[in-house]
Formats: sequence, structure tokens, C-alpha cells
Amino acid sequence: MARPTSFGKDTGLQLRMTFTLFLLGLVYVVLIVALLASGANGVLVAVIAGGLAVFQLFGSDKLALRAMGAREVTPAQAPELHAMIDRLCVQADLPKPKVAVADTRMPNAFALGRSPKNATVCATTGIMELLSPAELEGVMAHELTHVANRDVMVMTLASFFATIAAYVVQFGFLFGGGHGDDDDNPSAMVLFLVSIAVYVISFFLMMALSRYREFAADRGAALITGRPSALASALTRIASGMDRIPQRDLRAQQELAAFYIFPPGAGKAIGALFSTHPPMEKRLAALQRLEMQLQGTA
Amino acid sequence: MGLFDILTGRRKVKQPAESRLFAMSTAAVTLEMSLGLKDAGKAAIVFQPLATADFTSIVDDMEEVLRGTGEDTGTEIEKTDDAFGYRWMVLSDDDFEDLVVGVNVISQALQDGGYGERILCAVFAFRDEQDQAVYWIYNYKRGTYYPFVPAGGDQRRDNERELRLRAQIGNELPIESELERWFPLWGIPI
Repeated sequence: MARPTSFGKDTGLQLRMTFTLFLLGLVYVVLIVALLASGANGVLVAVIAGGLAVFQLFGSDKLALRAMGAREVTPAQAPELHAMIDRLCVQADLPKPKVAVADTRMPNAFALGRSPKNATVCATTGIMELLSPAELEGVMAHELTHVANRDVMVMTLASFFATIAAYVVQFGFLFGGGHGDDDDNPSAMVLFLVSIAVYVISFFLMMALSRYREFAADRGAALITGRPSALASALTRIASGMDRIPQRDLRAQQELAAFYIFPPGAGKAIGALFSTHPPMEKRLAALQRLEMQLQGTA
Repeated sequence: MGLFDILTGRRKVKQPAESRLFAMSTAAVTLEMSLGLKDAGKAAIVFQPLATADFTSIVDDMEEVLRGTGEDTGTEIEKTDDAFGYRWMVLSDDDFEDLVVGVNVISQALQDGGYGERILCAVFAFRDEQDQAVYWIYNYKRGTYYPFVPAGGDQRRDNERELRLRAQIGNELPIESELERWFPLWGIPI
């Protein structure tokens, strides 16, 4: 019949993300070759990093929730939040995640969990007071899209080799020193240099990937709710609310920040390349394009 | 969702599954005959109304058609918007078959207009011998039904009753197999 969906495709975003992933893979292949070439030590580091990554995937949820001061809430404790998420889950065809609330004035929301079946979405009391129901719905849909896109899994795996590179850089002297003081140990030196390069390049690629996934989550939220402008309105409201928050409240780690609806400390003048989230104007512009597609004016 | 879709964060809102809505027409007979659940003469379909001219005109046209046929079948329509911004089209008719047909007319009109993914669910209301409300909710995205029995008090549901209903209805309805997708709908206006 008529149109299959009310929104067009975003091929540009798909292409950029695929290209970033491709580059990341390329960088990591170089690292793997260097690790293998360096022999046993390199493989050992890889195994340790692998163990840590698995721990991160399986064990970090509870730690992160505790770090945020969040507690899981039952439908009786937060009826409106639960009912809202129930409906969004039906729309997004997702199983119901755990729902948590963090008791802080900072208006924010985040999602955790390696797969949709093990996911937790969390909203702060600050965001629930600040936003209207439709705006909050947009924000929760953004977080549910992170869950559906398996962003925690993707980012953990994407950072796996960057972690290895970081270890090699940190313990580089051990590598060199392990072989006594014979100065012709080229493989360790090469590994050390390769690791530095991999670490630096993959850092920028990961930040880019994270920003693209934010765009994807904004887009997914608009698709689920059918109200791109409600999310845009929520973002501006959160941003203006964030500026009033004192610096000491910004206690989240960078890794956690990747799954926030809005990054803490975004007001700081950090270069766009170092940022896990795209700049506000670009997010609003992307949502504006979606609304125009919806209204048939694009 | 494929691996590549996961890697590139591609999301599509799922379109309705192949419709098994009409399974309710026959199941209603069993519900009344062997389980003592009488239909309440009401059904509803819930969807997200988009604030666009195109969507509004589709809904208006569909409503007009329904009111037109309603004069023959005796189906009455009411619409309300709930606190979550969803629209409820509530149909009332003593003939249960007409209710199922009416719900299908609405969902079909939305799907033909290209807005199938905006439909949340359909709800069929029943009452047991104690006049307690029992609902059957149809999830369009998955093409499945599940029971929902509010147990009075603050957002409590009678899980035991719901599970028993699933066992009692057997194969007559396509039942949602994953219990975590038996999403409640509080404050159903029928």
C-alpha cells in the first residue's frame, strides 16, 4: 500500500558508522599482529584484558547502578514510569527491562546491560521533575533504543583492543625489561609503539562511534514515539537545567557517560573530537529533519 | 535484527505481525460457555496519534466510515486521549463479532495509510460471574493475545488468574509465550 514507514532512511549515518567500525577493525588487526609477533607476553596481556572485558559485560551493571545511587523500583513505587516504559516496550517490541531511579537533582537518564534481556534503564528524580510526560517518554525511548541497539555490548567490544593497547603502554617497561638488558629486543619496542598508536587512534574512533550511536538512539526514539520534537524539547530543557548543576555533581565516569541521554560536563569547552555525545545543535537539527519527514515537508 | 544492524545501530519500528486478531471471535464463545466470562460489549484499540495533517485526515476518514457502518451494525465509537498521549478508540456493541470487525477496520485503515507501527494494542473487555473485569490484550507487533486481570488496589494484577486463563483457553488464542511481554495497561476505560 502507501508508504511502508513514516520516516525515511538515514543512509549517511549508516555509512559513517560502518566506515568508523571498519577503521577500528583495521587498527585492531595491526595491534593483533604486533601482539602475536611479540610472543607470550602479548598473548598474556590479551587474555587478562579479555577477562576484564567479560567481567565488565557481566558484572558492571550493579556496580554502575550503585555508583549512581540508583535503586530498582517496582511498578507500585513508580507507576507512571513503569506504565510509560511498558508502552514503549510494546512499540519497540522489546522485553521489559529493569527500571531504576537515582535520587539526584541532576536531570539525566541512562541504560545499562549487555543484551535486551539483561537491561536496566534508569532515570533520575531530577529528570522526572523537570520534563513533561511526552518529553520524558522521548528520553526513555532514547535509552530503550540504546538497549535495543546493544550499545553497551558494542562499545565494550569496540574498546576491547584499546584496553589491551593501554595495558601494553602502561607495562611497556616490563616487556622490555623481561629480556634482561640486551638492547636488541625489537619486537617489544615495535609492540610498544604500535600500542601507543592504536590507543590514540582507537580513542578518537570510539568517540566518533559513540556520537554516531547517540544519533542512532535519538532517531530510534523518534521512530518509537513518533514525536521527534518532544525529544528535541527535552534535550534543550535538560541542557539548560544542566548548566545550573554545580561541578562537584559531575561524578560519572567516562564509560558510563556514553550511555547518558546527556553527557555530564557538556558545558565545558572540550573539543568535539573528544566528546562521547554530538553537539546539541546537531542533535536538534537531526531531530528537526525527522519531524519534517514526518510532516511531509522535507 | 541482524548483526550488521546491531553494529550500525539501525532501528526500525516493527510493523504489525500477520493479523490473528480474529481468533478472538471464536475464542469469545469458549470464554463464555466454559469459563463463565461474558463479554462486556466493549473493545478498544490504542494508538499513538501523530500530530501531522496526513495522519489526522486518515483518522478522521476512518472515523467517518465507522460511524457510517455503525448506523447499520449499532456500533458506537468514543475516543479519548490518555495521560500518556495515546488515543483510545472505544467501540460499544452488543454483538461481539461487530466489535472485532470494528477494531480490525481501524487497524486496517492505519496500516493502509502507512502508520501500522503506531498501533499499540487492542483490548477486549470481559466480566466474570462476580462482575470482575478481565481483559484480553492483543499485541499487534507480535500477533499475540495475553490476559490482563487488574486485582483492585494500587496497580496490582492477579497473576494467578491470568496464568490459569492461559491454561484454560489452550490453543484457541495465539497466546504470547514470553511472560515478560504481558505488559499491563492500567486505567483501561472499558
